[in-house]
Amino acid sequence: MNMDAGKTDKLIASAIAALPYSRPAAGFSARVMAGIAAGEARQPWQASVLKAAGLIVTAWAAALVFVAAGLVYSNLADMAALVIQPDGLARAFNLVAAHAALVLAKTVAVLALASDIMSAAAAGLPAWYEIAAAAAVCAAALAALSTSGRLASRRI
Amino acid sequence: MGENETDLVRRCLEGDNSAFAGILEIYQDKIYSFALRLLRDPVAAEDAAQEAFVKAFRGLSSYNPAYQFSSWLFRIAHNACMDALRAGNKTVSLDHEDFPDLPDPVRGVAESVADSIDAERIEALLASLPPLYSEVLLLAYREDMGPAEIARVIGAPEGTVKARLFRARELIKVKLAAGAAADATVQG
Repeated sequence: MNMDAGKTDKLIASAIAALPYSRPAAGFSARVMAGIAAGEARQPWQASVLKAAGLIVTAWAAALVFVAAGLVYSNLADMAALVIQPDGLARAFNLVAAHAALVLAKTVAVLALASDIMSAAAAGLPAWYEIAAAAAVCAAALAALSTSGRLASRRI
Repeated sequence: MGENETDLVRRCLEGDNSAFAGILEIYQDKIYSFALRLLRDPVAAEDAAQEAFVKAFRGLSSYNPAYQFSSWLFRIAHNACMDALRAGNKTVSLDHEDFPDLPDPVRGVAESVADSIDAERIEALLASLPPLYSEVLLLAYREDMGPAEIARVIGAPEGTVKARLFRARELIKVKLAAGAAADATVQG
C-alpha cells in the first residue's frame, strides 16, 4: 500500500535528523588552532610592513605639501599681483611657459655638454679597429705559446 | 545560541584566542560531518572544515550577533565546500544536472519501502544527490534550520531553498521507489 506523500516526507526528515555526526581524525583541533596561531604570527609582521609603508608615504606627502606650500607662500605676493592686474592670468601663463622653456633649454645644454665631455674622453682612446686588431694578435700569440708548451711537455 | 556559546564568542572578540577551542569543540563534528556528506572524501572534508574554522576565527569581528552563530559558521563551511567542489571539477551548478524529469507530483512510496529508510540507506540516498540538494536537506533536517536560515547559509533566496527542498525530497522518493522496483524484480 502506498503511503501519502506527507508521511513519506516526515520519514525522510526523521531519517536525516537521526544521522550520526562523524568525528574528524585525531589532532584536528590542534591543526585548526595551529592554523590560527600561524595566521596570528604572520599578522604582526604584515602589519609592521604596512605601517612602515604608510608612514613613508605620509611623510613623503607631507614633505611635498610643505615644499609646495613654501613655494606658494614665497611667491604669493607676485602671484596675487599678477592675478589682480588686467590680463594677469594670461601673463602668469606666459611667465610659466617662459620658465618651462628656460628649463628645457638648460636641460638641452647640460645634455650637450655631457655629450661633448664623453666625446673628448673617447677621443683619447685608439680607434675600435686598432683595439680589435691588437686583441686578435694577443689571442694568436697566447694560442701559439700554449700549443708549443704542450708539444714540448709531451717530448719530455 | 546557548549562553556558553555566546560567552565563548564574546571572549574571542575580546582577544582571548583560547576561547575558540571551546567553539571548535562544540562545532567540529557538525561542520566536519556536513563537509563529509557534501564532499564524500574524509581528507577533503577535513581540509574544508579546517579552512572554515580558520576563516571563522579571522572573520569573527564581522559576525553579527543578531543572527545565529551556527548559521554564520555553516555559511563559511558551505563556501569552503563549494570551493573544494569547484577545485575538484565537480558540478556545483544545477544547470547541467543529469536527473530525469520528475513525475509531477511524486506520490508517497510503498509503506514497506518507507519503513526501510535506515541510516545507511539515507546516507546512500543523500550521497546520490547533487551537493546543492543534499545540503538543503542536511541543513533543514539534521541542523533543524528553517528556510530563511538556510537561505542565509547558502546565499540563495528563500524561494530557491524551498524549491530545492521540495525537489530533493521528490528525488529521494523517486530513488526509493526505483530501488523498491529493482528489489522486486530481483526477488521475482
